[in-house]
Amino acid sequence: MADQLLDQVREAAEGQIDFKGQELAELLATILLAAVGVISFVVGFINQDIKLALYLGLGGTALTLALIVPPWPFLNRHPVRWLPVGGVEKKSQGIMMDGQVIA
Amino acid sequence: MHSTIVRGQNVFGFFTTVCFVVAALIAASDLLAPRTPKATVAVKDLQVVRGRPHYYSTKKEEYAIIRFSLSADLSSLFSWNTKQVFVYVSASWPNSTLGDAGKGEMVNEAVIWDTIITNPSADHLQNIGPAAMKKLVRSTKGKTIDPSRGKLELKNQKAKYQITSPDGKLAETDNMVLKLHYNVQPWVGVLTWTPQIEFGSWKKVKGGISKAFKLPAIKAKKVVEKKSA
Amino acid sequence: MLSALQNPRQAAAQLLNFGLILSTAFMMWKGLSVISDSPSPIVVVLSGSMEPAFQRGDLLFLWNRNLMEETKVGEIVVYNVKGKDIPIVHRLVRKFGLGEEAKLLTKGDNNLADDTELYARGQDYIERKDIIGSVIAYIPFVGYVTILLSEHPWLKTVMLGLMGLVVVMQRE
Repeated sequence: MADQLLDQVREAAEGQIDFKGQELAELLATILLAAVGVISFVVGFINQDIKLALYLGLGGTALTLALIVPPWPFLNRHPVRWLPVGGVEKKSQGIMMDGQVIA
Repeated sequence: MHSTIVRGQNVFGFFTTVCFVVAALIAASDLLAPRTPKATVAVKDLQVVRGRPHYYSTKKEEYAIIRFSLSADLSSLFSWNTKQVFVYVSASWPNSTLGDAGKGEMVNEAVIWDTIITNPSADHLQNIGPAAMKKLVRSTKGKTIDPSRGKLELKNQKAKYQITSPDGKLAETDNMVLKLHYNVQPWVGVLTWTPQIEFGSWKKVKGGISKAFKLPAIKAKKVVEKKSA
Repeated sequence: MLSALQNPRQAAAQLLNFGLILSTAFMMWKGLSVISDSPSPIVVVLSGSMEPAFQRGDLLFLWNRNLMEETKVGEIVVYNVKGKDIPIVHRLVRKFGLGEEAKLLTKGDNNLADDTELYARGQDYIERKDIIGSVIAYIPFVGYVTILLSEHPWLKTVMLGLMGLVVVMQRE
Protein backbone atom coordinates (compact mmCIF):
# COMPACT_ATOMS: atom_id res chain seq x y z
CA MET A 1 0.00 0.00 0.00
CA ALA A 2 2.70 2.46 1.04
CA ASP A 3 4.85 1.30 -1.86
CA GLN A 4 2.03 1.91 -4.31
CA LEU A 5 1.45 5.38 -2.91
CA LEU A 6 5.17 6.18 -3.12
CA ASP A 7 5.22 4.94 -6.70
CA GLN A 8 2.33 7.22 -7.59
CA VAL A 9 4.05 10.21 -6.00
CA ARG A 10 7.26 9.28 -7.83
CA GLU A 11 5.41 9.01 -11.10
CA ALA A 12 3.96 12.49 -10.67
CA ALA A 13 7.22 14.02 -9.49
CA GLU A 14 9.31 12.40 -12.18
CA GLY A 15 7.38 13.96 -15.04
CA GLN A 16 8.57 11.69 -17.83
CA ILE A 17 8.34 12.78 -21.44
CA ASP A 18 8.87 10.69 -24.57
CA PHE A 19 12.01 10.52 -26.70
CA LYS A 20 10.80 12.98 -29.34
CA GLY A 21 9.77 15.31 -26.51
CA GLN A 22 13.26 15.06 -25.00
CA GLU A 23 14.84 16.06 -28.28
CA LEU A 24 12.42 18.97 -28.64
CA ALA A 25 12.97 20.09 -25.03
CA GLU A 26 16.75 20.06 -25.46
CA LEU A 27 16.56 22.07 -28.69
CA LEU A 28 14.00 24.55 -27.33
CA ALA A 29 15.96 25.15 -24.13
CA THR A 30 19.18 25.84 -26.02
CA ILE A 31 17.59 28.16 -28.58
CA LEU A 32 15.43 30.05 -26.08
CA LEU A 33 18.19 30.65 -23.55
CA ALA A 34 20.67 31.73 -26.21
CA ALA A 35 18.06 34.09 -27.68
CA VAL A 36 17.29 35.51 -24.23
CA GLY A 37 21.00 36.17 -23.73
CA VAL A 38 21.41 37.91 -27.07
CA ILE A 39 18.22 39.96 -26.69
CA SER A 40 19.02 41.09 -23.16
CA PHE A 41 22.52 42.19 -24.18
CA VAL A 42 21.44 43.99 -27.35
CA VAL A 43 18.41 45.72 -25.81
CA GLY A 44 20.43 46.64 -22.70
CA PHE A 45 23.27 48.02 -24.79
CA ILE A 46 21.03 50.06 -27.07
CA ASN A 47 19.10 51.53 -24.16
CA GLN A 48 22.29 51.77 -22.05
CA ASP A 49 20.27 50.19 -19.27
CA ILE A 50 21.92 47.36 -17.37
CA LYS A 51 18.93 46.75 -15.13
CA LEU A 52 16.73 46.22 -18.18
CA ALA A 53 19.25 43.65 -19.42
CA LEU A 54 19.18 41.90 -16.05
CA TYR A 55 15.38 41.78 -15.87
CA LEU A 56 15.07 40.61 -19.49
CA GLY A 57 17.57 37.84 -18.84
CA LEU A 58 15.92 36.68 -15.62
CA GLY A 59 12.39 36.94 -17.05
CA GLY A 60 13.30 35.06 -20.21
CA THR A 61 14.98 32.34 -18.19
CA ALA A 62 11.93 31.99 -15.94
CA LEU A 63 9.72 31.60 -19.03
CA THR A 64 12.08 29.00 -20.49
CA LEU A 65 12.04 27.06 -17.22
CA ALA A 66 8.25 27.17 -17.16
CA LEU A 67 8.10 25.93 -20.75
CA ILE A 68 10.67 23.15 -20.52
CA VAL A 69 10.61 21.73 -17.02
CA PRO A 70 7.00 20.56 -16.46
CA PRO A 71 5.95 17.53 -18.58
CA TRP A 72 3.62 19.52 -20.87
CA PRO A 73 1.43 17.50 -23.25
CA PHE A 74 3.30 18.86 -26.28
CA LEU A 75 6.39 17.02 -25.03
CA ASN A 76 4.46 13.76 -24.79
CA ARG A 77 2.91 13.43 -28.23
CA HIS A 78 4.94 10.44 -29.38
CA PRO A 79 4.53 7.77 -26.71
CA VAL A 80 6.72 4.71 -27.17
CA ARG A 81 4.63 1.86 -28.65
CA TRP A 82 5.94 -1.32 -27.12
CA LEU A 83 5.58 -4.59 -29.00
CA PRO A 84 2.85 -6.81 -27.61
CA VAL A 85 3.98 -9.25 -24.94
CA GLY A 86 4.92 -12.58 -26.45
CA GLY A 87 4.07 -11.33 -29.93
CA VAL A 88 7.40 -11.46 -31.76
CA GLU A 89 9.43 -13.45 -29.34
CA LYS A 90 8.82 -16.75 -31.09
CA LYS A 91 10.24 -15.48 -34.36
CA SER A 92 13.42 -14.16 -32.79
CA GLN A 93 16.66 -15.99 -33.30
CA GLY A 94 17.25 -16.07 -29.59
CA ILE A 95 20.34 -15.02 -27.73
CA MET A 96 22.49 -17.82 -26.50
CA MET A 97 24.12 -17.50 -23.14
CA ASP A 98 25.71 -20.31 -21.22
CA GLY A 99 24.11 -22.71 -23.67
CA GLN A 100 20.61 -21.47 -22.98
CA VAL A 101 18.28 -19.37 -25.08
CA ILE A 102 17.49 -16.33 -22.95
CA ALA A 103 15.57 -14.15 -25.39
CA MET B 1 15.94 15.39 -20.39
CA HIS B 2 13.61 12.51 -19.48
CA SER B 3 12.50 13.70 -16.02
CA THR B 4 11.60 17.02 -14.38
CA ILE B 5 14.73 17.09 -12.24
CA VAL B 6 17.09 16.45 -15.13
CA ARG B 7 15.35 19.07 -17.27
CA GLY B 8 15.59 21.60 -14.45
CA GLN B 9 19.28 20.83 -13.96
CA ASN B 10 20.07 21.10 -17.67
CA VAL B 11 18.20 24.36 -18.21
CA PHE B 12 19.79 25.89 -15.12
CA GLY B 13 23.21 24.68 -16.20
CA PHE B 14 22.90 26.30 -19.61
CA PHE B 15 21.48 29.44 -17.95
CA THR B 16 24.71 29.85 -15.96
CA THR B 17 26.72 29.52 -19.20
CA VAL B 18 24.58 32.17 -20.91
CA CYS B 19 24.93 34.45 -17.86
CA PHE B 20 28.69 34.10 -17.98
CA VAL B 21 28.88 34.88 -21.70
CA VAL B 22 26.55 37.90 -21.46
CA ALA B 23 28.51 39.20 -18.45
CA ALA B 24 31.74 38.87 -20.44
CA LEU B 25 30.14 40.75 -23.36
CA ILE B 26 28.94 43.52 -21.04
CA ALA B 27 32.42 43.81 -19.53
CA ALA B 28 33.96 43.91 -23.01
CA SER B 29 31.49 46.60 -24.17
CA ASP B 30 33.33 49.02 -21.86
CA LEU B 31 36.14 49.12 -24.39
CA LEU B 32 33.81 50.55 -27.03
CA ALA B 33 33.01 53.64 -24.97
CA PRO B 34 35.71 56.29 -25.43
CA ARG B 35 37.05 57.88 -22.28
CA THR B 36 38.26 61.44 -22.61
CA PRO B 37 38.38 62.98 -19.15
CA LYS B 38 39.90 66.38 -18.50
CA ALA B 39 40.48 68.39 -15.37
CA THR B 40 42.26 71.33 -13.82
CA VAL B 41 43.40 71.36 -10.22
CA ALA B 42 44.75 74.42 -8.44
CA VAL B 43 45.89 75.03 -4.89
CA LYS B 44 44.08 77.87 -3.14
CA ASP B 45 45.27 77.95 0.43
CA LEU B 46 47.88 76.13 2.46
CA GLN B 47 48.31 75.85 6.16
CA VAL B 48 50.41 73.72 8.49
CA VAL B 49 49.30 73.33 12.08
CA ARG B 50 50.38 71.22 15.03
CA GLY B 51 47.97 68.93 16.77
CA ARG B 52 47.39 65.54 18.35
CA PRO B 53 46.57 62.60 16.11
CA HIS B 54 43.82 61.60 18.54
CA TYR B 55 42.46 62.80 21.85
CA TYR B 56 44.57 60.59 24.14
CA SER B 57 47.83 61.02 22.28
CA THR B 58 50.64 62.84 24.02
CA LYS B 59 52.84 63.58 21.01
CA LYS B 60 52.09 66.37 18.59
CA GLU B 61 52.19 66.11 14.82
CA GLU B 62 52.17 68.55 11.97
CA TYR B 63 49.17 68.60 9.71
CA ALA B 64 48.82 70.19 6.32
CA ILE B 65 45.41 71.65 5.58
CA ILE B 66 44.83 72.37 1.93
CA ARG B 67 42.18 74.26 0.05
CA PHE B 68 41.95 73.65 -3.67
CA SER B 69 39.69 74.17 -6.63
CA LEU B 70 38.83 71.51 -9.11
CA SER B 71 37.11 71.66 -12.44
CA ALA B 72 36.67 68.27 -14.01
CA ASP B 73 34.74 66.68 -16.83
CA LEU B 74 34.54 62.95 -16.22
CA SER B 75 31.24 62.48 -18.06
CA SER B 76 32.76 60.09 -20.61
CA LEU B 77 33.38 57.55 -17.83
CA PHE B 78 29.69 56.82 -17.44
CA SER B 79 28.40 53.95 -19.56
CA TRP B 80 25.72 51.32 -18.89
CA ASN B 81 28.25 49.11 -17.11
CA THR B 82 29.42 51.90 -14.79
CA LYS B 83 28.26 51.37 -11.23
CA GLN B 84 30.13 54.24 -9.69
CA VAL B 85 33.12 56.45 -10.26
CA PHE B 86 35.32 57.07 -7.25
CA VAL B 87 36.99 60.45 -7.73
CA TYR B 88 39.88 61.43 -5.49
CA VAL B 89 42.44 64.17 -5.24
CA SER B 90 45.80 63.23 -3.80
CA ALA B 91 48.79 65.20 -2.69
CA SER B 92 52.16 63.69 -3.51
CA TRP B 93 55.60 64.84 -2.57
CA PRO B 94 59.17 63.52 -2.72
CA ASN B 95 60.84 62.17 0.36
CA SER B 96 63.46 64.46 1.84
CA THR B 97 65.13 61.74 3.94
CA LEU B 98 65.82 59.40 1.02
CA GLY B 99 68.53 61.69 -0.33
CA ASP B 100 69.53 61.35 -3.97
CA ALA B 101 67.89 57.97 -4.38
CA GLY B 102 64.42 59.37 -3.87
CA LYS B 103 64.99 62.71 -5.59
CA GLY B 104 62.29 63.65 -7.98
CA GLU B 105 60.21 60.58 -7.24
CA MET B 106 56.88 61.22 -5.61
CA VAL B 107 57.31 58.59 -2.96
CA ASN B 108 54.65 59.91 -0.59
CA GLU B 109 51.03 60.18 -1.53
CA ALA B 110 47.91 60.92 0.49
CA VAL B 111 44.29 61.30 -0.52
CA ILE B 112 43.00 64.70 0.62
CA TRP B 113 39.53 64.63 -0.89
CA ASP B 114 37.26 62.03 -2.47
CA THR B 115 33.73 61.60 -3.68
CA ILE B 116 31.58 58.79 -5.01
CA ILE B 117 29.50 59.48 -8.10
CA THR B 118 26.98 56.71 -8.71
CA ASN B 119 25.28 55.98 -11.99
CA PRO B 120 21.46 56.11 -11.63
CA SER B 121 21.47 52.28 -11.75
CA ALA B 122 23.34 52.24 -8.43
CA ASP B 123 21.64 55.18 -6.68
CA HIS B 124 19.75 52.90 -4.30
CA LEU B 125 23.06 51.66 -2.89
CA GLN B 126 24.28 55.08 -1.77
CA ASN B 127 24.69 55.53 1.95
CA ILE B 128 22.76 58.80 2.29
CA GLY B 129 19.68 59.96 4.15
CA PRO B 130 16.16 59.43 2.75
CA ALA B 131 15.72 63.09 1.79
CA ALA B 132 19.02 63.26 -0.07
CA MET B 133 18.20 59.93 -1.72
CA LYS B 134 14.86 61.25 -2.95
CA LYS B 135 16.56 64.30 -4.39
CA LEU B 136 19.25 62.19 -6.03
CA VAL B 137 16.74 59.83 -7.64
CA ARG B 138 14.54 62.70 -8.77
CA SER B 139 17.50 64.51 -10.33
CA THR B 140 17.79 61.86 -13.01
CA LYS B 141 14.23 60.66 -13.32
CA GLY B 142 13.83 58.29 -16.24
CA LYS B 143 17.50 58.30 -17.17
CA THR B 144 19.46 55.07 -17.09
CA ILE B 145 22.85 56.73 -17.21
CA ASP B 146 23.64 60.31 -16.32
CA PRO B 147 27.01 61.51 -17.62
CA SER B 148 26.27 65.07 -16.43
CA ARG B 149 27.07 63.90 -12.91
CA GLY B 150 30.66 63.57 -14.04
CA LYS B 151 31.05 67.33 -14.30
CA LEU B 152 32.62 68.62 -11.12
CA GLU B 153 33.09 72.25 -10.21
CA LEU B 154 34.68 72.88 -6.83
CA LYS B 155 35.78 76.32 -5.72
CA ASN B 156 38.04 76.81 -2.74
CA GLN B 157 37.14 73.32 -1.53
CA LYS B 158 38.42 72.32 1.90
CA ALA B 159 40.24 69.00 2.00
CA LYS B 160 38.30 66.17 3.63
CA TYR B 161 41.43 64.59 5.06
CA GLN B 162 44.41 66.39 6.56
CA ILE B 163 47.80 65.29 5.42
CA THR B 164 50.11 63.79 7.99
CA SER B 165 53.52 62.23 7.81
CA PRO B 166 54.84 59.22 9.73
CA ASP B 167 57.71 61.28 11.16
CA GLY B 168 55.35 64.08 12.14
CA LYS B 169 57.15 66.69 10.04
CA LEU B 170 55.52 68.43 7.10
CA ALA B 171 56.21 72.15 7.33
CA GLU B 172 58.11 73.62 4.39
CA THR B 173 57.86 70.43 2.34
CA ASP B 174 58.76 71.35 -1.22
CA ASN B 175 57.63 70.12 -4.63
CA MET B 176 54.21 68.94 -3.53
CA VAL B 177 51.57 68.50 -6.25
CA LEU B 178 47.87 67.75 -6.27
CA LYS B 179 46.57 65.15 -8.71
CA LEU B 180 43.12 64.12 -9.73
CA HIS B 181 42.46 60.38 -10.04
CA TYR B 182 39.45 58.26 -10.71
CA ASN B 183 38.46 54.64 -10.29
CA VAL B 184 35.63 53.31 -12.42
CA GLN B 185 33.72 50.55 -10.68
CA PRO B 186 31.81 48.44 -13.22
CA TRP B 187 28.68 46.35 -12.63
CA VAL B 188 30.68 43.42 -13.92
CA GLY B 189 34.21 43.17 -15.23
CA VAL B 190 37.54 44.87 -14.75
CA LEU B 191 38.08 47.84 -12.45
CA THR B 192 39.94 50.70 -14.06
CA TRP B 193 41.97 53.54 -12.67
CA THR B 194 43.44 56.71 -14.13
CA PRO B 195 45.46 55.27 -17.02
CA GLN B 196 49.22 55.76 -17.21
CA ILE B 197 49.17 55.05 -20.94
CA GLU B 198 46.58 55.53 -23.68
CA PHE B 199 44.66 52.35 -24.35
CA GLY B 200 42.51 52.19 -27.48
CA SER B 201 39.82 54.85 -27.16
CA TRP B 202 40.68 55.38 -23.48
CA LYS B 203 42.70 58.56 -23.23
CA LYS B 204 44.79 59.86 -20.36
CA VAL B 205 43.41 62.64 -18.19
CA LYS B 206 43.98 65.97 -19.87
CA GLY B 207 45.52 68.10 -17.17
CA GLY B 208 44.55 66.99 -13.69
CA ILE B 209 47.86 67.93 -12.04
CA SER B 210 48.42 71.14 -10.13
CA LYS B 211 51.53 73.26 -10.21
CA ALA B 212 54.20 72.23 -7.72
CA PHE B 213 54.00 74.12 -4.45
CA LYS B 214 55.76 74.37 -1.13
CA LEU B 215 54.05 74.00 2.21
CA PRO B 216 54.44 77.04 4.47
CA ALA B 217 56.06 77.11 7.87
CA ILE B 218 53.81 76.30 10.79
CA LYS B 219 50.80 78.56 11.13
CA ALA B 220 51.63 80.70 8.12
CA LYS B 221 48.46 81.32 6.18
CA LYS B 222 49.18 82.12 2.58
CA VAL B 223 50.85 80.19 -0.19
CA VAL B 224 54.51 81.02 0.24
CA GLU B 225 55.66 80.49 -3.28
CA LYS B 226 54.47 78.93 -6.45
CA LYS B 227 56.71 77.13 -8.87
CA SER B 228 55.86 76.12 -12.33
CA ALA B 229 55.66 72.37 -12.74
CA MET C 1 20.93 4.58 -3.81
CA LEU C 2 20.13 0.88 -3.82
CA SER C 3 21.17 0.54 -7.44
CA ALA C 4 24.58 1.88 -6.50
CA LEU C 5 24.95 -0.99 -4.05
CA GLN C 6 23.88 -3.49 -6.64
CA ASN C 7 26.20 -2.07 -9.28
CA PRO C 8 29.64 -1.37 -7.80
CA ARG C 9 31.06 -0.36 -11.20
CA GLN C 10 28.54 2.46 -11.53
CA ALA C 11 29.14 3.52 -7.94
CA ALA C 12 32.89 3.63 -8.56
CA ALA C 13 32.36 5.68 -11.74
CA GLN C 14 30.19 8.16 -9.86
CA LEU C 15 32.77 8.43 -7.11
CA LEU C 16 35.54 9.04 -9.65
CA ASN C 17 33.44 11.66 -11.43
CA PHE C 18 32.83 13.47 -8.15
CA GLY C 19 36.53 13.29 -7.33
CA LEU C 20 37.36 14.70 -10.77
CA ILE C 21 35.09 17.71 -10.25
CA LEU C 22 36.61 18.41 -6.84
CA SER C 23 40.21 18.06 -8.01
CA THR C 24 39.58 20.20 -11.10
CA ALA C 25 38.16 22.98 -8.93
CA PHE C 26 41.14 22.67 -6.59
CA MET C 27 43.62 22.78 -9.48
CA MET C 28 41.98 25.88 -10.96
CA TRP C 29 42.07 27.61 -7.58
CA LYS C 30 45.74 26.77 -7.05
CA GLY C 31 46.56 27.66 -10.65
CA LEU C 32 44.94 31.08 -10.25
CA SER C 33 46.82 31.42 -6.99
CA VAL C 34 50.15 30.85 -8.75
CA ILE C 35 49.30 33.19 -11.64
CA SER C 36 48.17 36.03 -9.39
CA ASP C 37 50.77 35.33 -6.66
CA SER C 38 48.01 35.57 -4.07
CA PRO C 39 47.16 32.94 -1.44
CA SER C 40 43.49 33.67 -2.06
CA PRO C 41 42.94 34.90 -5.64
CA ILE C 42 39.14 35.09 -5.32
CA VAL C 43 37.40 36.54 -2.26
CA VAL C 44 33.78 37.11 -1.29
CA VAL C 45 32.91 40.51 0.20
CA LEU C 46 31.67 40.02 3.76
CA SER C 47 31.00 43.56 4.95
CA GLY C 48 29.36 46.70 3.67
CA SER C 49 32.33 48.95 4.41
CA MET C 50 33.09 49.45 0.71
CA GLU C 51 29.53 50.26 -0.35
CA PRO C 52 28.32 51.33 -2.82
CA ALA C 53 31.21 49.79 -4.78
CA PHE C 54 30.96 46.32 -3.23
CA GLN C 55 27.98 44.69 -1.54
CA ARG C 56 28.05 41.64 0.65
CA GLY C 57 28.33 38.52 -1.50
CA ASP C 58 30.14 40.11 -4.43
CA LEU C 59 33.07 38.21 -5.89
CA LEU C 60 36.45 39.92 -6.23
CA PHE C 61 39.44 38.77 -8.26
CA LEU C 62 42.82 39.68 -6.79
CA TRP C 63 46.22 40.35 -8.29
CA ASN C 64 49.29 40.44 -6.11
CA ARG C 65 52.15 41.09 -8.52
CA ASN C 66 53.82 44.46 -9.07
CA LEU C 67 54.84 43.97 -12.68
CA MET C 68 54.72 47.53 -13.98
CA GLU C 69 54.37 49.67 -10.92
CA GLU C 70 54.01 49.61 -7.20
CA THR C 71 50.80 49.19 -5.29
CA LYS C 72 49.60 52.78 -5.08
CA VAL C 73 47.08 55.05 -3.45
CA GLY C 74 43.53 54.56 -4.70
CA GLU C 75 43.85 50.81 -5.22
CA ILE C 76 41.47 48.55 -3.36
CA VAL C 77 43.52 46.00 -1.46
CA VAL C 78 42.76 42.94 0.61
CA TYR C 79 44.97 42.75 3.67
CA ASN C 80 45.42 40.67 6.77
CA VAL C 81 45.86 42.05 10.26
CA LYS C 82 47.91 40.15 12.82
CA GLY C 83 45.64 38.27 15.19
CA LYS C 84 42.55 38.55 12.99
CA ASP C 85 41.35 35.69 10.79
CA ILE C 86 39.23 37.57 8.31
CA PRO C 87 40.96 39.56 5.57
CA ILE C 88 39.69 43.12 5.01
CA VAL C 89 38.90 44.76 1.64
CA HIS C 90 39.56 48.53 1.80
CA ARG C 91 41.01 51.31 -0.29
CA LEU C 92 44.58 52.57 0.08
CA VAL C 93 44.46 56.26 0.98
CA ARG C 94 47.99 57.03 2.08
CA LYS C 95 51.40 55.75 1.19
CA PHE C 96 54.69 56.90 2.62
CA GLY C 97 57.91 55.61 1.09
CA LEU C 98 58.67 53.04 -1.55
CA GLY C 99 58.81 49.28 -1.87
CA GLU C 100 58.54 46.77 0.94
CA GLU C 101 58.98 49.30 3.74
CA ALA C 102 56.38 51.73 2.48
CA LYS C 103 53.87 52.62 5.18
CA LEU C 104 50.32 52.17 3.92
CA LEU C 105 47.02 53.37 5.34
CA THR C 106 43.63 52.06 4.25
CA LYS C 107 40.04 53.23 4.59
CA GLY C 108 36.66 51.81 3.65
CA ASP C 109 34.73 54.03 1.23
CA ASN C 110 31.67 53.74 3.43
CA ASN C 111 33.53 54.40 6.70
CA LEU C 112 34.05 57.86 8.10
CA ALA C 113 37.43 57.15 9.65
CA ASP C 114 40.51 55.39 8.35
CA ASP C 115 41.48 51.89 9.44
CA THR C 116 43.98 52.72 12.21
CA GLU C 117 41.45 51.37 14.71
CA LEU C 118 41.21 48.06 12.84
CA TYR C 119 44.94 47.40 12.87
CA ALA C 120 46.72 45.52 15.63
CA ARG C 121 47.49 47.32 18.90
CA GLY C 122 50.19 49.93 18.40
CA GLN C 123 50.15 49.45 14.64
CA ASP C 124 49.58 52.67 12.72
CA TYR C 125 50.24 51.45 9.16
CA ILE C 126 50.25 48.23 7.19
CA GLU C 127 53.04 47.13 4.88
CA ARG C 128 53.15 45.56 1.45
CA LYS C 129 53.57 42.09 2.92
CA ASP C 130 50.25 42.36 4.79
CA ILE C 131 48.45 42.72 1.46
CA ILE C 132 47.29 39.53 -0.24
CA GLY C 133 46.14 41.23 -3.42
CA SER C 134 44.62 44.24 -5.17
CA VAL C 135 41.12 44.00 -6.61
CA ILE C 136 41.26 43.92 -10.41
CA ALA C 137 37.92 42.43 -11.45
CA TYR C 138 34.45 42.11 -10.04
CA ILE C 139 31.37 39.90 -10.41
CA PRO C 140 28.32 40.90 -8.39
CA PHE C 141 26.30 38.72 -6.04
CA VAL C 142 27.62 35.27 -7.09
CA GLY C 143 29.31 34.63 -3.73
CA TYR C 144 26.18 35.27 -1.71
CA VAL C 145 25.51 31.52 -1.41
CA THR C 146 28.58 31.12 0.79
CA ILE C 147 27.38 33.91 3.09
CA LEU C 148 23.92 32.35 3.36
CA LEU C 149 25.36 28.93 4.17
CA SER C 150 27.78 30.23 6.79
CA GLU C 151 25.31 32.55 8.48
CA HIS C 152 22.28 30.26 8.41
CA PRO C 153 23.56 26.74 9.14
CA TRP C 154 20.00 25.33 9.00
CA LEU C 155 20.10 25.94 5.24
CA LYS C 156 22.68 23.16 4.99
CA THR C 157 20.18 20.79 6.62
CA VAL C 158 17.48 21.94 4.22
CA MET C 159 19.78 21.33 1.26
CA LEU C 160 20.69 17.85 2.51
CA GLY C 161 16.99 17.11 3.00
CA LEU C 162 16.17 18.23 -0.54
CA MET C 163 18.95 16.06 -1.95
CA GLY C 164 17.63 13.08 0.03
CA LEU C 165 14.14 13.76 -1.30
CA VAL C 166 15.46 13.74 -4.87
CA VAL C 167 17.14 10.37 -4.24
CA VAL C 168 13.95 8.89 -2.74
CA MET C 169 11.83 10.25 -5.57
CA GLN C 170 13.98 8.71 -8.27
CA ARG C 171 12.93 5.32 -9.53
CA GLU C 172 15.50 2.78 -10.44
